[in-house]
Amino acid sequence: MSPLTGVQHVDWLAVAPVVAPLAALLAVLLVDAAAPGFARLRHVHDAIAILGLVAAGAAVVRLAADDADTATACVPGGGLEVAACSFAVSALTLTLQAVVIGAAVVCLLLTLDGPGARDRAPHHVLLLAAVTGATALPAARDLATLVVAFETATLPAIALVALRRDPQGAQGAVTFLFTALASLGLLLLGAALILAATGSAHLDRISAALGDPSLPPRVRAVAVVGVLLAVGGVAFKLSAVPFHLWTPDTYAGAPLPVAAFLASVSKAAGTAAVVVLLTIGVLPLAGTWAPIMGLLAAVTFTVGNLVALRERVAVRLLAWSTIAQAGWVILPLAGAEPGGPAQARAAAAGAVGYLVAYTAATLAVFAVVVVFARHHPAGEEHAVQAYRGLARREPVAAAILAFGLACLAGLPPGIVGLVAKVVAVRPVVDLATWPLALAAAANVVLGLVYYLRWAALLFMPSAGPVPTWRVRTAEGVALGAAGAACVALSVWPQLVAGVVPGALR
Amino acid sequence: MNAAGGSLVAAHAGWLLSALLVVPLAGSLALLALRQVGADLAARIATGITLLTLALAVAAGAGAAPYDRPGPGAQVDAVWIPALGVHWHLALDGLSLPLVLLTALLGLLVCWHVVRVRPVPGRVRGLVACFLAVEGGAIATFLARDLLLFFVAFEVVLIPMWFVVAFWGDDRQRSGYASPVAAPPPIGERARRDAANRFVLFTALGSAVMLLGLLFVALRTGTTDIDVLAARAAGAGGGPGLSGTEQTVAAALIVGGLAVKVPMFPLHTWLPPAHTIAPTGGSVLLAGVLLKMGSYGLVRVAVPVVPDGVRALAPVLAALGVVGILWGGLACYVERDLKRLVAFSSVAHMGFVLLGIASLTAVGLQGALFANVAHGLVTGLLFLVVGALKDRHHSADLTAIGPGLRDRLPRLGWLLAFGALAALGLPGLAGFWGELLSIAGAWQSGSTAGGAGALGALGRPLAVLAAIGTAVAATYMLRVLRLVWQGPARAPTPVGDGVPPPVTMGDATPHELSVTGPLVLATGVLGILPWLLLDVTGPAVRSLLAVVASAVGAAP
Repeated sequence: MSPLTGVQHVDWLAVAPVVAPLAALLAVLLVDAAAPGFARLRHVHDAIAILGLVAAGAAVVRLAADDADTATACVPGGGLEVAACSFAVSALTLTLQAVVIGAAVVCLLLTLDGPGARDRAPHHVLLLAAVTGATALPAARDLATLVVAFETATLPAIALVALRRDPQGAQGAVTFLFTALASLGLLLLGAALILAATGSAHLDRISAALGDPSLPPRVRAVAVVGVLLAVGGVAFKLSAVPFHLWTPDTYAGAPLPVAAFLASVSKAAGTAAVVVLLTIGVLPLAGTWAPIMGLLAAVTFTVGNLVALRERVAVRLLAWSTIAQAGWVILPLAGAEPGGPAQARAAAAGAVGYLVAYTAATLAVFAVVVVFARHHPAGEEHAVQAYRGLARREPVAAAILAFGLACLAGLPPGIVGLVAKVVAVRPVVDLATWPLALAAAANVVLGLVYYLRWAALLFMPSAGPVPTWRVRTAEGVALGAAGAACVALSVWPQLVAGVVPGALR
Repeated sequence: MNAAGGSLVAAHAGWLLSALLVVPLAGSLALLALRQVGADLAARIATGITLLTLALAVAAGAGAAPYDRPGPGAQVDAVWIPALGVHWHLALDGLSLPLVLLTALLGLLVCWHVVRVRPVPGRVRGLVACFLAVEGGAIATFLARDLLLFFVAFEVVLIPMWFVVAFWGDDRQRSGYASPVAAPPPIGERARRDAANRFVLFTALGSAVMLLGLLFVALRTGTTDIDVLAARAAGAGGGPGLSGTEQTVAAALIVGGLAVKVPMFPLHTWLPPAHTIAPTGGSVLLAGVLLKMGSYGLVRVAVPVVPDGVRALAPVLAALGVVGILWGGLACYVERDLKRLVAFSSVAHMGFVLLGIASLTAVGLQGALFANVAHGLVTGLLFLVVGALKDRHHSADLTAIGPGLRDRLPRLGWLLAFGALAALGLPGLAGFWGELLSIAGAWQSGSTAGGAGALGALGRPLAVLAAIGTAVAATYMLRVLRLVWQGPARAPTPVGDGVPPPVTMGDATPHELSVTGPLVLATGVLGILPWLLLDVTGPAVRSLLAVVASAVGAAP
């Protein structure tokens, strides 16, 4: 901190993954302001947006190569207070940022020639804004930064949904908006209670205060209520049951690439918020929140899978599938223990590792669905049955889709999905919480039913004529990248299993 | 093989063992990618790949000899997922070699079978690609020495086998078919889907439960290496072991998961529809290879890693095995569909395997391993013969095929008779030794003279019941022969309207004889010279039981 101005010192490299999308956002706005609606500039918009994301990705790689945890925007310790920082760069941060940026690039590539093509500048601005929030979230280490980053990641996504500009899109956006507002209320109330109970907004100090055995039980109870409210506030972004009701309508109402964005970037942001808040901020209360996360996970994957079994429209099936997968993401948090840094690390590593595998697989599936929708008369509302016989006409796309579904189901050849499920269920088994572990085992089978049913359709004889695809370059790159990510992660599952080495920071 | 050759193989054991599973799996991927390859060429390529795999398996088996040394004869060990401590640890020893050879042989035969006998829905390329994937996954399972690698390999076979049953399934159930014990099964695509789903859901649930047990062991001990875990369970080697309760919990999860695959009564209900609906090659692989993965898992993973837990569960395991023997036998006695009958007889045969394993005696385990191989050979043969009969009659109903097969189709008739006699445990054929040794093991295990056996007071009654089971097996197999093989020859049942003509007419072709010949030969040879197999498995079984014995001594 500068002694004269009170402005905290900022390490610009550390915040570059957040600043780069923001800079690109401003550049797109400037170009659009200079020449509004000028069609020739669409490629400039595209280029700026992609460059911004690539620069952010490069910064993440650079920071990862340094292999040292750093922190910035710090306040010094003094008296009883420990030193605390608002922005931390650790393996956890960088992994989540990499997931967000990689997923955002794929979603952007899917959009370029897709349904959102006419709203190029607004789309890019909104997407970059949401990415800015989502990259800031895993680095946020105080409640204010966490809340602001969370809302920055959420609110632009609502506008993205509305870009479809038809009644269904509007309905999806409104549903999403109301859920987001209600959740914001919960989150703010929860953050306020935590702040009131511990007297600090910095997660390090909150953790220290809650770990102090002399904390009066009543104050601790206030903090517990705050944590539960805050978890409820962020759980909607993960689509955890019972905060999931917006998901099917919004996915069906949004342009498909935006649905892919919600399923990947938004989900990563939600995971970041939950993991950072719970395992770094309020770990001393794990005795209370870990069982609740376990219950939440069990209900989430059971409900998601059971409804997905009955869904016939592809995008709605995917919506319920992402709900079920969200249960797997939060499942490892049930294995956290107060005063167990190793268990907390395993829990965070499980959640983030599962997220990495899930994001790659779900993007592979979405990429095929986006291209399929463009060639199908029913468009974005096409049924799963429409995939009958795809392997005959489009063997590569069908192979990517089938592999993505196998990864989501967690069966070889989708080895990454299998390893991810191992990583996710490990902390629960370690704690010997058998009912939860058996529920997870049963849900592997439930999910298998509909993923396998879909995959089998691809290889059946087709019922009617299938149009020949014209895959555009950007879509081809997105398809290839998502498919290659699934294959690479299946060959080197270490990338999923070992994402959070060392201490949890 | 001479000593120089053996050392040559041993020097390249790592590559050889990896190649054993990579060759079929890569062949499967290549066949899926080569879209221009026609049906005939695809089947021939697959046959070539499986032949190469069999040659590699024989070379590896010869290189890993002799089998009376402690430890595996050939192994490879490399880090795969450091964060989970998972190693690419493959090894070949006396327990795994017979099953690897069996898998390679059956893989070759089913691919060679497809060269001439085409599945009704066509699409041969996809079918043989699935066969190759199943073969690769099964070999990987039999070679894996790391808990999680074992689990991954265990899962590899599921999706290909699902496709085999669901896409190439044999839904030629005649409408006249009626089971006396259950409602008539669904017909057509629904039947295939139903059978395939039942197979994959049961076994996936089983393996998910097994995974929980494996993870529990890995987390409590800090290692996933089966050899290290076995050493620790025996009380040797540093590092934490498992307490008695933990062993029981882990054993319940692991054994419960594996029991679905074996299958153990009452978890066997997926088996009859899957085996009945699967195309001939699929049935052969299901019975000959997939079921063995379950019983092999019990011997390779459950017994050495959690010996006390298995010992605690042994009476339950043995009792359910015997129930399976009797239940399967009685179901066979009333079954009218020959393919379903062979499927139910698998439940009975695997009951003997379970009984042998649960006895935790050298004789019983030897018997279980022998019965494993014998069942793979004999049931594979029976499914091939029944498939050939079904191709000619459009039905596997006993009344549609018989009577008078002996005179009408003498070669197929004799093959069926040979298979049935081997399956009922006729002395001098392979089926006999496994059942005899399993029952003897159970009897020994029930002995209360020199320290209580694993089965305690239950051992001898169970041995008697299992012996009664062999009588039941003789009854139902002789019933089949009486109904189908004997009797006056008459023209086959006329085919109704709208039913396509039979796939093949006449007696067994030279091609069909070349597919079944190796199985007949192996059944006969193992029946007359059982020590060919017993000498290979013997040392491994003895070292396995040394683990169990010292674990009993070392248990806290």
